[in-house]
Order: sequence, then C-alpha cells, then structure tokens
Amino acid sequence: MLDRRELLCRGMLAAGAAAMPSMLAAQIKPAADWTLGLTDVLEDIAPRPLTRLHGRAPALTGTLYRNGPARFRRGASSVSHWFDGDGLVRAWRIAGERTSLAARFVDTPKRRIEERLGAIVQPGFGTPARSGNELGGPDDANAANTHVIAAGGQLLALWEAGSPFALDPETLATRGPVTFRPDLAQMPFLAHPRIEPSGRIWNIGSGGDHAFIWRLSPTGQFEAGKTIRLPMASYMHDFTATARHLVILCQPWVQTSSHVPYIQSLEWQPERGTRVLVIDKDDLTKRREYELPPLFFFHLGDAWEEADGTIRFDGCFHKDPVFPILGASALVEGRHEHGEMPALTLVTLRPDGRADLAPAGITAEFPRAAPEIAGLPRSQTVFVGDYGNDRPFARVVGIWDWDRGRADRFDFGAQQLVEEFVPAGDHLIGTTLNLAAGASELHVFDARRIADGPVVSWCSDVALPLTFHGSWVA
Amino acid sequence: MHTRLITPLLIVAATLPLGGCAISIGDRGAPTPAAAAPARAATLAIRFEGIETPKGQIMLSVFDNAAAHDQNGAPVRVAAVPVEGTTALATFEGLAPGDYAVKAFHDLDGDGKMGSNPFGMPLEPFAFSNDAKAQGGPPRWEAARFPVAAGANAIRIAIK
Repeated sequence: MLDRRELLCRGMLAAGAAAMPSMLAAQIKPAADWTLGLTDVLEDIAPRPLTRLHGRAPALTGTLYRNGPARFRRGASSVSHWFDGDGLVRAWRIAGERTSLAARFVDTPKRRIEERLGAIVQPGFGTPARSGNELGGPDDANAANTHVIAAGGQLLALWEAGSPFALDPETLATRGPVTFRPDLAQMPFLAHPRIEPSGRIWNIGSGGDHAFIWRLSPTGQFEAGKTIRLPMASYMHDFTATARHLVILCQPWVQTSSHVPYIQSLEWQPERGTRVLVIDKDDLTKRREYELPPLFFFHLGDAWEEADGTIRFDGCFHKDPVFPILGASALVEGRHEHGEMPALTLVTLRPDGRADLAPAGITAEFPRAAPEIAGLPRSQTVFVGDYGNDRPFARVVGIWDWDRGRADRFDFGAQQLVEEFVPAGDHLIGTTLNLAAGASELHVFDARRIADGPVVSWCSDVALPLTFHGSWVA
Repeated sequence: MHTRLITPLLIVAATLPLGGCAISIGDRGAPTPAAAAPARAATLAIRFEGIETPKGQIMLSVFDNAAAHDQNGAPVRVAAVPVEGTTALATFEGLAPGDYAVKAFHDLDGDGKMGSNPFGMPLEPFAFSNDAKAQGGPPRWEAARFPVAAGANAIRIAIK
C-alpha cells in the first residue's frame, strides 16, 4: 500500500482530496471550536462600532485592512481547499477612542457566478471545476482573498494567479480587476509584493519555469516588466528582496503537468533540492543561484544585505507540502490533519556561493517587519506561532530577535485563534478570533513590550473567519 | 503558473483557443476548390452574433474530425471575415456532408493574430460552435461538433 509520502511524490494526494464528492464534504459537521475560523459569512458586514475590552488607545489613527476567505459553502457544495473561499476585505478603523469594523466581499466574477447558481462551481487552487463553471481566463477563478495593500489612493485585493482587484478604501466597494497595461491583462500577480521604503512595488507573476517581474511606482502605476526563466517550475506564493536584489526561492514542489485544479499539477521532488535565484533589480539579466536542502514554504521575511554582499532573510519552512495538500483541504471539512509545523529559519547566502539554514527553534508563520526598513538590515521579525497539535492555528504573537536568539511573545491562550500582526510605528496591530466569546477582536501592542500583553483590545459583535494578510494604513 | 501559464488554473486559459486558430490574414482561400466538390456538396453559413466591439475581423477555423480538433491538427477550412456592426458572416461551399466544429476569435486589432499576454493567455474574444464553453482549454470535439447535411446549412455562434 502506498504511504503518504509516496502519494505526495506521485502527486496523487491532491487528486484524491479533490475527488471527494462535494455533497459529502458539505455534510461533514465541524468537530471542534476552531472551525469557527472557517465559518461562512453570508453578506457584507456594515460598519459598526467596537467595544473596548481593556486598556487605553494609543495615539494611533489609521485602518488595519485585512483579507481572507469567508465563503466556503453554498447549498450542498463547498470549496475543496481553504485557499479557495471568496475574499472578504475587513477594515478595522482606529481614530483615538473611536473604532469600528466593516467588511465587504470583493465583487469578483467567481463570486457573481456562484451567487447566481447558489453553488461552488469555479475551480481554484485546490477546488475542481464543477458543472456550470465559466472559465474564460484566470480572473474568472480569482478569489481575491489573500492580501490587501494600499497604493495610489485605492486598495488592491490580491490573489496570486490573476489580477489585483481595486477597491475603494472608504466604502470597500470593488472597482474591478486592475490591468496595468492592455497586453498584461490577466497576468499572475503574487499576493506578496515587496514594497520598498520609497513605496516602489516589486512583484512577480509565477508561470511554470518562468516568472514575470513587475515593477510598479509608489502609486501603483506600471513602470517595467520582464519575463525571466526560473531554475525550476516551482510553486510560488512569496519571494523576497533586499534594497538591491530580488531573491526568488524555488522549492521542489514543481509543476509537472497542467491540471485543474492547479494543485494537481504539482509534484514533490525533494531530490531536486531548493534553488535560490538572486537577481539585480537594476539589471534583471544579472543573476546568480544558490542551493539549499529541500524545503517547502509559503512565506518569507524581508531580506537584507551586508557590506560584504552576504544576503540574509528568514522564512517559515516545512519539511514537505503536506499542509497545502492535505491539511488545508481538511480544514474546510472541520478536520485537523497534522502536518509539520512551520519552523522560523534564517537563510544566509554568502558571497562565495555557499548557502545555509539556521533554525530559530520556534514554530512561526506570517513573518512581517517594519515597512520603513524593508530591504534594509534588521534583526527583528514579527510572527505568530506556537503551533501545536491541538488545533491548526497560532495562539501566540511575538517578535523574534535574530541577534539575541529569543522572542518577546504573548500567549493569547487556548481560546483565541491568532491572525497575522503587522508593525504600526511603535506598535503591533492585529486581530484574533475569540472562540469563547464568539467574536473577532482587535489588539494593539507596544512593540517593545509584547509579553505585557495588548495595551488595548476591542471586540466586535461578529465572528469572522480567519484572514491571511493585511496592511496598516495610517 | 508559458508553459505553466499562470497559476492555478491558468493553465486552463492559457491554452484556450489557440489551437487551430493560428491563421494568418492571408489564409482566406478554401483548400477545396468548388470545382472539385462532390455532387451532393454542402454549404455552411456561420453567423457570428453578439459582437461587442464593431471593428476588426472574425478569424475562424473549421474542423472535420476529432483528432485535428482536439490535438491542434490542421483545420479543413479557415477564414477571416469582416465585422459589420454586431455581426459577421462566414460562408463555406463545397463541404462534404458530415460533422464539423468551429473555433473562432475576434481579431479586434486586425493583426491577424490572437492577442495574448506574455504567458500566452488569450486577450481577444473567442467562441466555439454550439457556443461550447472553454473549460480548462478549448471545448472538445464532442461538445463543439454539429452536423452538416447536403445542401444549405446555417449555424450561429455568439462571440464575446
């Protein structure tokens, strides 16, 4: 009998998961409290004030925009993967003591089609195409559910295989997919652009063994683009950058065929190792490569460069892609499939061509750093973590210090599901889902004293499913 | 995600209607001269409807077998017809009765090629006979085939 690793290597697990009848999937009852994190939101959330739980609001004015999937099931059908729910953009607004929450679904073709049919039919990362689907191009499957950034006076709700969707930052109303140039319509645009302190935006669009390098102005206008060749056709969710270089990590989860859903096109080939491509921002033809052991990842931290040319960055690394293949599908069904926990790890690329990994010794995900020093030397990484086996999500927020080799962290406890936190000046801001209260909460920390707990927390009157990524816009 | 066209599904779209539609603007000729047509030959009129942008031309390929249609083989006929308002009309004579399928796209800029992004994603409107839908690529022969009998035949295709 084939074991799980053999199935992975043959790219068969995803096929099996995706083949589960949608009726069956929809009938499986959530089995644990954490399933509130994958609940369905049926309609937009009108603006509503928050209730302060404790503490005092610091002098902080702005909005924490966050994005994540919030509609997984329709009628008897459901998506087959956590990553395929409709994007719901939340706006947590703070103006002194006045705080509010509003949320609105991104009005995508996928959402319109499925609203009309009352069924999940559009294919996605891990969801197969079903009867009634309409797929003329990538944006017909675009869930716009992964990240939201601000540029040029509007919000961009990001997916990874198609266009950003522009939103009104006040009303969250969808303006439509963004075409940066007519001949670049429907090009992939990862959900993790790297934004320089100047505001200039770098991104890549991943396509097999090629990638399109995007360069946008601080106002989100197209400046330059070029297709480059990659060392291998790796699945790509994120990349990183120093002030001078793009750093593209090519993991050995590679596309070996063309299937829908996309996850069925991928095979885990650890024997190929991991390749790191470093490209000069000023001349994309200048490139060098490094080799690392096989690893799987979703997220990297900002990279930086030292005087001798050494490049460092951190990432949250898994041993293999069991989580996206099995774990993230099971979550929608209310099951917690155990996968390896993401290990915060420092990557060093040395001028002599050597590359090595140094684990921090903690589980961590959603690494973030201050946007003011993006691409510049730093020692601190904001993370959420303490992933354990009792549930699939984080319960701790912290700042890991690579110089000191320790974390300043706060444990929200077993009743809170902790989402990504982001730097906001001298503070960290982020959200949790309080399982005991059945409500989403907003928290602000003093970034110098995380262990003291939030300086202020507010609760909403709704329980929203977990988000992926977002931005603090002051 | 040009091979890999894109990410998730892109694959899908990237391979879309290109197969068999790579015809040049000069390929108006019918490979089968009317004089050589069998006695009980058929004519086929294809009316394209629902055209949203009244300019350019419709470029189409006609297939008469599953292998050519589904595996990027050679079409039996090709044509480029001007768009007139919201419609365009293509007419073929001297066809052998049997089953056929059509792949077409609206060449908006009149350059004779399907416009595409750097990863090969089609960026001009396209359509198939039976109004068969693209689902991870062009529809298969079985979804797009239609019968052509001896004498006059007419079909409609919505292109948008």
